[in-house]
Amino acid sequence: MRDPTPPLTLTAITDRTRTYIRDTFLYMRPDWPLQDDDPLFGSGVIDSIGVMELIGFLQSEFGCTVAEDEITERNLGSIGAIARFVHAKCNADGVRAA
Amino acid sequence: MCGLAGIARRGPGGVSAERLVRMADAIRHRGPDGAGLHADERVGLSHVRLSVIDLARGAQPMANETGTVFVVYNGEIFNHLALRSELEARGHLFRTRSDTEVLVHAYEQWGERMLERLNGQFAFAIYDRHAGCVFLARDRFGILPLYYAERDGDLYFASEVKALLASGEVERALDPEGLDEVFTFWASLPPRTPFRGIRALEPGCCARWQDGRLTIRRYYALAYPEAASESADALEALDELLHSAVRLRLQADVPVGGYLSGGIDSSIVCALAAACSPHVLRTFSVTFEDPALDESMYQQAVAAAVRSQHAVRRIGSGDIARVFPDVVRHAETPLVRTAPAPLYLLSGLVGEHGIKVVLSGEGSDEVFLGYDLFKEAIIRLLCWQRPQSRRLPQLLDGLYPDIAPAARKGEFWRRYFLAAGAPGDPLFSHLPRFLLTARIKDFYSAEFRAALGRFDPLAELRGRLPHGFGTWSPLARATYLEMTTLLSPYLLSSQGDRMAMAHGIELRVPYLDHRLFEFAAALPGRSKLRGLREKDVLRRWARGLLPPAVIGRRKQPYRAPDVPAFFDGRPPEYVEALLDPASLARTGIFNPPAVAGLVRRCREGRAQGFRESQALVAILSTELWHREFLGAPVQASAALTAGVKAAAVPASVAA
Repeated sequence: MRDPTPPLTLTAITDRTRTYIRDTFLYMRPDWPLQDDDPLFGSGVIDSIGVMELIGFLQSEFGCTVAEDEITERNLGSIGAIARFVHAKCNADGVRAA
Repeated sequence: MCGLAGIARRGPGGVSAERLVRMADAIRHRGPDGAGLHADERVGLSHVRLSVIDLARGAQPMANETGTVFVVYNGEIFNHLALRSELEARGHLFRTRSDTEVLVHAYEQWGERMLERLNGQFAFAIYDRHAGCVFLARDRFGILPLYYAERDGDLYFASEVKALLASGEVERALDPEGLDEVFTFWASLPPRTPFRGIRALEPGCCARWQDGRLTIRRYYALAYPEAASESADALEALDELLHSAVRLRLQADVPVGGYLSGGIDSSIVCALAAACSPHVLRTFSVTFEDPALDESMYQQAVAAAVRSQHAVRRIGSGDIARVFPDVVRHAETPLVRTAPAPLYLLSGLVGEHGIKVVLSGEGSDEVFLGYDLFKEAIIRLLCWQRPQSRRLPQLLDGLYPDIAPAARKGEFWRRYFLAAGAPGDPLFSHLPRFLLTARIKDFYSAEFRAALGRFDPLAELRGRLPHGFGTWSPLARATYLEMTTLLSPYLLSSQGDRMAMAHGIELRVPYLDHRLFEFAAALPGRSKLRGLREKDVLRRWARGLLPPAVIGRRKQPYRAPDVPAFFDGRPPEYVEALLDPASLARTGIFNPPAVAGLVRRCREGRAQGFRESQALVAILSTELWHREFLGAPVQASAALTAGVKAAAVPASVAA
């Protein structure tokens, strides 16, 4: 049988993550110029408490469980990095849209 | 302690008794036991009294024998008996046993140099009729408040801003830069206040007003002449100083109690006080329903060990929100934490037990390096010095145990500290805190941003650091910043004097005996912070005095619930009203859509970090503050006004 839910595209993950980050961490500064590869942490968009919230979002939105050793700048440091990380996990683990 | 207020006219217009009564009435909570005033053609002084020493004869304003020197005074001179003996030996005649009279004669004898001789917590105004001058002074560390304003050469001064406003002659307006400092440092830095044109006399400073001109001078400067090594008799010296500091602060003609947090600092104070006090010591604590904030187990252990009669104020759901408007009214400033609220409730408990004076452990964390901020600064410095080390950044994971464990470890947690700034910045130690607090400004309205222009509170602070700051050790620099940006303007004020005096309770602070501070400042840094063990010398000294579990216990930061205090269930009506977009727009400081986003997250239970909790408290308290002080005038109740007049007018009104 075919899986009825196709894997999410990189673009779809990027769009949903961007919307989430703007709604959650930048609602007070809608004018904040945030590009997909801008650092989320160095620029102060997200702090370490926010990371916990972000990980919860990735779990609920994409069914993507983030292991402790995966909580790194490389994986979660920008919208683009998050999308690539989630997309890779989706493909590797067969994760589908939650 | 007490409250004082006054006006000095450049010209011979006089000061009406009615105006002085209004000013005194606005701070009547500081002195419920009596009131008095003096008014002549140039100067008016008013005073409300909390009777602690010489209950029968200590009324103020108090004059010398010839009626040429008057004083109104808030505080305690703990070495007044020694000074009195010295002054009597020089021929001064005393009519009372009060420390107030010592000030009068000390001024006659030594003039402004008297300040160097005082061991105490004080703010006072001396009117020298012969010289036609008013002399204002505030204690070394800013334990007690003193504000002033000038208008056309006239001087207005008072223990609290609300007394200045009650004069009807001081402008009610906000100072955007003062507010911006609150949202950077947790408080405006003296002399700035959140009120335009109203200044706070800086700790360790005095001011002389004469012929319409005010001259301010620093008489005490914090210094850190750290020794290379700890002397062999350091513990002996500390023992003598701690005993002396507590013993002096037990002097009163009323029983003295103690605040007991359950940490080592207040436990030491209570243990020493219990040993010296002629009464069974009364101790008082706050406890919290939230077990993460609660320290009652340790409080009870210490109370049992020192055999105090212990009373507890349990902070439950709804308590903080219920009293928060009163808290802001007494603090007279926006706040970024709700932590003053439990202390407001605690002082109420003290009052209910008939106690007027309590000892506090405040100041020890600054004097003996108790805060994790000091460890953080050292770890960050080491990380900068050894950038290849993988182990050093991991030490940051052990800091701030009050933050959820999952959030205080790993790459992002460490990055928050390591990216905050470089060691070459004189504010290095405090940059993570300052930058985190400044996130409140994300909620500013465009108009308020424009009003601030290019104001940069960090640049301004860098520019006013004392000569020699750069030569101090990193820990000494951190301590100085902590004492001047947080201890004095916030902890001793919004959490200290203001919350205690709201219920007419005098707070005494043994760790800020200047001799003890100077002793600790001269110790090597590692005597206080040994590796990552805080308050090492104090712990070594306290062995045997306190239960081992208390001595070995790690510092638990005092915290109170922030967002849950208002959004655990339906928020109180006033919260809804203040956060309403139309109301916010009228005040104009915060951006209504941004605040709406915050409120949404608070309602959803998703606002969990400092960034949002401090923003909520800041916005709420600012709106309360704005309504209280910049809206309708401060009104005096008719009953209280009548009481002040009856007590005051017959004795000394000369006008």
